[in-house]
Formats: sequence, structure tokens, C-alpha cells
Amino acid sequence: MKLNKLLFTVLAGSLFFVSCSSDDDNTTTPSGAYANGVIVLNQGNFTSGNASVSFISNAFAVENNIFDANLLGQPLGDTGQDIGLNGDFAYIVVNNSHKVEIVNRYTFAPIASLQTGLTNPRYITFENGKGYVTCWGVGEIAADDYIAVIDLATNTLTSTRIPVAEGPEKIIAENGKLYVAHKGGYGMGTTISVINTTTNTVETTIEVGAIPGSLEAEDGTLYVLSEGYPYYASTETAGRLTRINLSNNRVVATTDFPNITHPSNLVIEDNAMYYTIGTAVYKTDLLNTTLPITPLFNTSAQSVTGITAFDVEDDHIYVGSGSYTAAGKVNIYSLTGAPQQSLTVGIAPAGFYFNN
Amino acid sequence: MTLKQFILPFFLLLCHTLVAQQDSIVQLKEVVISDTQLRDFSGTQSVQKLNDSVIGRNAASLTSLLQYNTVIYFKENGLGMVSSPSFRGSTAQQTAVIWNGININSQFNGQTDFNTLNTRDFNVISVRVGGGSVIYGSSAIGGSIHLDNELAFDNKFTNELRTDYGSYNTLGVNYKVATATNRFSTNVSISHNSSDNDYKFPGYNVRNDNGQYKNTSLNAAFAYRLNAKNVLRLYSYLFNGERHFARTISAPSRSLYDDTNTRNLLEWTGNYNRFTSRLKVAYLQEKYKYFEDFATDSFTFGQVKTFISRYDATYDFSSKLKLNAIADYTQNNGEGSDILNHKRNVGSGSLLMKHAPTERFQYELGIRKEIKNAYQSPLLFSAGANVGVAKFYSLKVNASRNFRIPTYNDLYWQGSGNPNLKPESSYQAEVGNVFSYAGATLSVTGYYIKLRDMLRWVPDSGNIWRPENVGKVSTYGVESVLSYQKQFGHSRVTFNGTYAYTVSREDGSSNQLMYVPKHKATAALAYAYKNISVYYRHLFTGEVFYTTDSSAGIDPYNVSAIGAEYTFKVLKGCSLGAQVSNLYNTEYLNVASRPMPGRNYNVYLNLKF
Repeated sequence: MKLNKLLFTVLAGSLFFVSCSSDDDNTTTPSGAYANGVIVLNQGNFTSGNASVSFISNAFAVENNIFDANLLGQPLGDTGQDIGLNGDFAYIVVNNSHKVEIVNRYTFAPIASLQTGLTNPRYITFENGKGYVTCWGVGEIAADDYIAVIDLATNTLTSTRIPVAEGPEKIIAENGKLYVAHKGGYGMGTTISVINTTTNTVETTIEVGAIPGSLEAEDGTLYVLSEGYPYYASTETAGRLTRINLSNNRVVATTDFPNITHPSNLVIEDNAMYYTIGTAVYKTDLLNTTLPITPLFNTSAQSVTGITAFDVEDDHIYVGSGSYTAAGKVNIYSLTGAPQQSLTVGIAPAGFYFNN
Repeated sequence: MTLKQFILPFFLLLCHTLVAQQDSIVQLKEVVISDTQLRDFSGTQSVQKLNDSVIGRNAASLTSLLQYNTVIYFKENGLGMVSSPSFRGSTAQQTAVIWNGININSQFNGQTDFNTLNTRDFNVISVRVGGGSVIYGSSAIGGSIHLDNELAFDNKFTNELRTDYGSYNTLGVNYKVATATNRFSTNVSISHNSSDNDYKFPGYNVRNDNGQYKNTSLNAAFAYRLNAKNVLRLYSYLFNGERHFARTISAPSRSLYDDTNTRNLLEWTGNYNRFTSRLKVAYLQEKYKYFEDFATDSFTFGQVKTFISRYDATYDFSSKLKLNAIADYTQNNGEGSDILNHKRNVGSGSLLMKHAPTERFQYELGIRKEIKNAYQSPLLFSAGANVGVAKFYSLKVNASRNFRIPTYNDLYWQGSGNPNLKPESSYQAEVGNVFSYAGATLSVTGYYIKLRDMLRWVPDSGNIWRPENVGKVSTYGVESVLSYQKQFGHSRVTFNGTYAYTVSREDGSSNQLMYVPKHKATAALAYAYKNISVYYRHLFTGEVFYTTDSSAGIDPYNVSAIGAEYTFKVLKGCSLGAQVSNLYNTEYLNVASRPMPGRNYNVYLNLKF
């Protein structure tokens, strides 16, 4: 019987293909030196498990894949959501892996991995020796959302859970209080929760605009940027900027956006306010109560079709963009919107974390 | 030794110089079938038929059957999970699945999940490669997969009970009964499959948690001859699956997907000399519940009810000229927690012609137009010819325009659906060569597909990702199928090999489309001696990318299976079989982040009485 020969032929043929096909797993060892630059978290594609972290040095040299999967024994995870920097550590919130990876922020050496007790974690902030992580719980369930609490001394998850309204998203800490924007998760939120970190309870709820996507505190004022109800809601509404007095949690002023537009990505830097609408970047003085009609610049000139990450630091505006199925871009502009750098990072950059 | 004769051609085939496509070589029995167009209007394209013995040697899921025996590529989210077929570089939504002549692709996502169909419920499975929208409507761009129940008016009463048991506590039971007289014929199959499916991810310290599934299906076909001219038939298919969606390497899961599909088709056929009239009515219902956490009673759901009425008239002017006109009216009524309640109506008319002026030459023409309330639909056509150039060689050419309509999810998904979408449409052409010699058949088909208005998800002005008709894709390639069988004494050898070379690119890009392997090859060799048979099969899938810029891919893999079967002469036949899948314990993935199992085992007992 020449069966062996046939099998061998089949096998040999297959191997021929294997050897023909290109292999682009260029697994280079990360340098482990990430001080003085910006860390970029890349979401990856939901369920593909290809979240990654890039580093852009102050000289704009890019190093991709700085989170070393080999050290952890598995990839960073599924859908990178947020990074919080505190002390020597970076806390990487990985949404669909339902975990927080803790690494040394300057070397990315793994420190700890919090894998249980975090269901759909979103964003993280720090206050008084604790890390606070907004969690949706089961997305379909409106009543199981909470803030998980990490003990920063031991980098372990505590048993404390602060129940909150549906869809807690961005979170900031100010004067011993937590401010949580309820963007809404699977629903559509309209409030900010104010949490007392001594009692771990929600002490006030502030009504803002629909879908509060970003919030910033500056000089005793909380600025909340709400996107407005989208076109598919029963009534579409314009975005809204809400100013809140942090001393008494009262709304001081609200400003609706013109022409039913939906702003996102509020950033306050050097007494100026920056935000985006579609691919356009806007800037206005922090104290202006009217909103500009014309953008500072439009990133579509750099072929950006959708902004996935935005930040302003020192003299630069950082814009992350890309689809969920191809390497992303970070375009860096001057504060007047002059393009300066166009860098390739991982898939769908989600945020910039300045590591100086 | 005859084996030698095909080693050389097969080797050449692997070197991509020789490629082929299998022709239908199985002769049809005198039976009643519902999908008559598959038989009558597929002569200028290639149809590969999988018979009972091939079906029996493969796992109960259609994925495994077609993956190892045809050019079709599957995207399978781990063993037993969502699995979608594609060929010729198309997507699963550009692949039609036809059950007894009725298109059963989901109205929600436009594709059929092949792990929700049990192979043993059908007695003929055919793969028709290339454009078929003129006959089968939406999605028949890459090709179509046909699941049929043949009914014959012969006297019989047979029962068959098959039990499978394998690794990960995988259990399969199938019972079939077929009875027939000269007036009445029926064919009923009941299947139940379940598995813990908790295999260890090879190379990782992680198990396939939350991968358990169970499903039950019933497929029944009845035919009743009213008189010499009229036959009534009823086909019913019920499927219920309760499947947990397994974790990936990096994302744990607690989700559960519960789906129920029912399909009913009633047909009245009248044969009046040269004129044949067929009236069909069908009612299909698909329903799912998705639980993000199986331990809660919170879920999202969707449901579409489809009503189809079709009148199909055929006139045979002579034995050489056949004309077929079809009028079809389909109504879909969909609702769900994430889609807007919507009813859509589609009417269509088709005209098909087959003419064989000489024994060696036949051609087919077809045209179809749809009228609908939701979107504009192009005029579809198909034209092809089959020329018997020599005794051992025939040539086929075919050109067609095909389409795939936007799905309920594309159109009406809350928050991202785009109700202004057009159908995707394609112009395509192919040339097939079929060589037959001494028990061997080799076919080589080259094709080109130009697809326009491809749906792609892009951010709109408000940064919301929505589908748009923006993509244009060119695909070309060659497919080859080699089959060989030889009987000598008590021994019988069969070999079947396929190879597909596919280049599929979006216009302006040099990158291969996501999840389209450039190379895919299969080989299956079976040897039978008296009551014993042994077989070996092998699958090679080339690298695929899961990014559009080819920056991240899944490694190519080779995976093999081996099996043996012994038939005892008790009752009407009792077969005992065993299989080893992933024989070499290959570590491989089919979809990013979802490893497939290592070496695993299966035994079965099949009783006929």
C-alpha cells in the first residue's frame, strides 16, 4: 500500500503552504522604560481579545505592545477601557475581561491582577488610599451597577461595593468626594452621583444633560459635558454643558449646544476648555458662557473619520482615531490646531495617560 | 497501484498549478424533491453532493461535515459555538442556505449558524458553488448550501438509531424512521445533542468555560400521492438550542443563547403532461433569547415570522427545452428588544430556461426582478453553458448578477441601524473544467466576482458606527476538487481532495479581506474491506487576518482526524465506529482568541432495523 506516501504528500503540501504564508508575530521584547511620555491604551476589537498599550515618548518615538503578554501568561485582554495612574502603578481597566491589571507605570512589570468581583468595569479614579472603579454589572440589568473599591496599600479588591444608578461611566475625585457620570450603560442616563468616601454612600444626585460623557473639576467648579439624546431616542436633543458649584453641588449654569449637535471629550487645560463634535475640535475660554460656532480645526484634514480618544497636555492636542479592525492613529497638534505628528498605535486608541 | 495515479495530480494541485471543481456525479433516484431548480438549473455550475456515507463519518454538526469535504471555509467561535460558512472570499451573509428550496438565512443577521443544524436530519446535502440569486434570492453570491429531504414512493419501512459519545461528555442521539408505499412516503428524524464542551485551551491554563450546549431537532417530511397527477407534501423542521457562549482566552463569559426555529413548508405538485405546476406555502419562525448572565432572568430577544407563497410553473417544450417561471411573495415580520418592529414585503418574479440543442451542448438563462417596500433591488440575471468537449472533458461557463439584501439588524437595530441601505450586488463570472477518467474526476474552476455597495460599519457625523453601502470588493480565485474511487475485489478506495485559492480585496487596498484564507485544502481517504472501513481526513487552512490592514492574523493550521467502522450483520445492519479528531493534538484557532480543542475522541453505534 502506498497510503503512507499519499499522506506524506498531503502533509508535505500543507507544510509548503505554512512555510509560504507570512508570519507577522514580530514579538519583540518591550523596552520596559516608560517614564517621560504618554501611555496610550488601545481598546482592540470587542471579543477579539486584542487590547494593547502603546507608549509615545516626549520625543514622539512610539513603542507598541508594551504590555508583555509573556509575563502574564495571557494577553492583556478584551477591550481596554481606561488606565488610572497612581503612585508607581498603572491600573488598566479591561472591560470585557472583567478585570483590572496592575503594573509598574514606568516599566510595565506586572504587579497584580484583579480578576474577580469586577463585572463590566469602566473607569477608575483614586482617593484617600483607595481606587474606585465604575462597574455596570450585567449590562442588561439596570439595578446592579456599582463602584468597586481597591485597597491601594495591598492592591487587592475590597468587599465594599457602592451601589449606584444605571450606567456609571467616568469618575473623578475631588475633596474626598467622588463624582460619577451616569452616561447610562445600556440605557440613557442624565445624572451625576456624588459619593461620600467616608460613608461609601451616594449623598446627592445632580441632574445634568442627557448622556453625560465627560466631567472635569477646575477651580471649585465641576464641568459636565452631556452628549444629548441621540437621533434614535424618542426626541433627539442637543448636547449640554453644565457647571456645578463643588462647594454645594448646585448647578450654576447650563449651556445647550447649537443645532442639535452631540459633543464629547471635554478637557480643561490652562483655563481653556476643549471638546469635540464629530471630527472637529473646539476650544473656548473656560469662563465663556457662550459656545463657539466654528471649530478650532477639523481632524478630517488628517483623514480622521471618528475620534476615539482625545486629550490636551502642555502644548499639544492628542487625537486618537481608527476603526476596530485596523491599527489606530494618534495625531498630535499644536494648541492652535497645526498638525505636528501622525503616529501608528494599536487598535482603537481609547485614552492618553501622561506619565511624567 | 492505482493510488499512484492521483498522487501526482494531487501534488500538482497543491502547488497551485492545477485546480478543479467537483461536478455532480451522483445519479438521482426516482424521487420527489422540493428544490427542483438545484437539479434542473445548475448544469452550468458545479454542484458537490455529499451522500449518506460521508455524512455518517462526520460529526453531527454541519460545520465539520462541510469543512472537511468541501471548499467552504468556516469561521467557528470554538467548538459547537456560532459557526458561519463562506466561500469564494465572500462573507456568511453572501452564502445562502436553502432548506428544501427555501432560503433559511436568519432575517436578523443574514446568515445561518451551522451549529444550529444537525446533519443527520437531512438525507442529501449539496453545495452549489457560485452565483444563484436568480433562483434562490438574497445571499447566493459565493454559493449556496442545500439541505434536502428526498422522498420516494417505494415500499419500505426502516428504522435507524444512532448514538454517539465522545470527549467532554458529548452525547448525540439520532433516530430516523422512513416508511413508504406507492401512495405515501414519510421520513422523520429526531436528534438530540449535548456537550459539557469544557476542553482545556491547548497551550493555556484556561478551560473553555461556559461552553456547554444542548439542542433538539425534529425534521419530518411527508408526501401523499392524491392521484396519478397530484402530490401533496409537507416538510417541517423544529430546532431548539440552549447554548452557552463560551469564554475566550481573555474574556470570561456567563452568557446563554436560547434559540428556537420552526420551518414548515406545504407543497402541491401537479404533473400534467408537459406542464408541471407547484404551489408552495411556507411559514418560518426564528426566535432567540440572549442572556448576558445565564443565572439571571434578564434577557434580550428577537423574533421574525416569515410567510412565503410561491407559484412555480414548468413547461417542457421537448426533452431539450425547459422553461420555468416562478412568482414569489415573502413577508417578514420582525420585532425584538433591540430592533424596531418592522414588517417588510417582497415580491419577485423569475424566468428560467434550459436548452440542450445537442447532446454535448446545453445552455441556461435566467432573469429575476424583485419588488419591495423597503429598498431598490437590481435586475438579476444568470447565463451559462456546458459543453462536452471530449469524452473525458467538459467545459462550463457562467455569468450572473447576484445580491444580498440588508438584514433586520443592518436596517433597524436601535442606535445604529440604517434604514436607507441598498442591497449589496455583484457581477460575477466563472469558467469550469471537468475531467473524468477511470473513476477519477477532477474539476478546476476559475472565477471573478466584483461586489459593489458592500455594507461596512463606519462612524457617522455624530461618531455613531452605522452600516453604509461604501465598500467595493474584487475577488478572484480557483477551486479544484479531485475525487476518485476504485473497487477491487472486496476492497474499495475513495479519495476526495479539495483546494481553494482565494484573493479578495477591497478596491484600493492590497490587503486580503478579514477571515478569508488565501489557501484552503482538504483531503479525505477511505478504505473499506468487507465489513471494515477506515478513513483519514485532513484540513489545511491558510493564514487569515482579523484586521483589515493585515496587521494581525491567525496562524495557518493543519488538523487531521482518523476513524474506523465495523458493521455487524445483525438486524438490518449494526455499525460500531470510533474517531480520533485533531489526531496530532495541534494547537490551533479558527477565530481570534478562541482556541479549538486538542485531540479528542468519539465512538458511535448505529443500528438499522
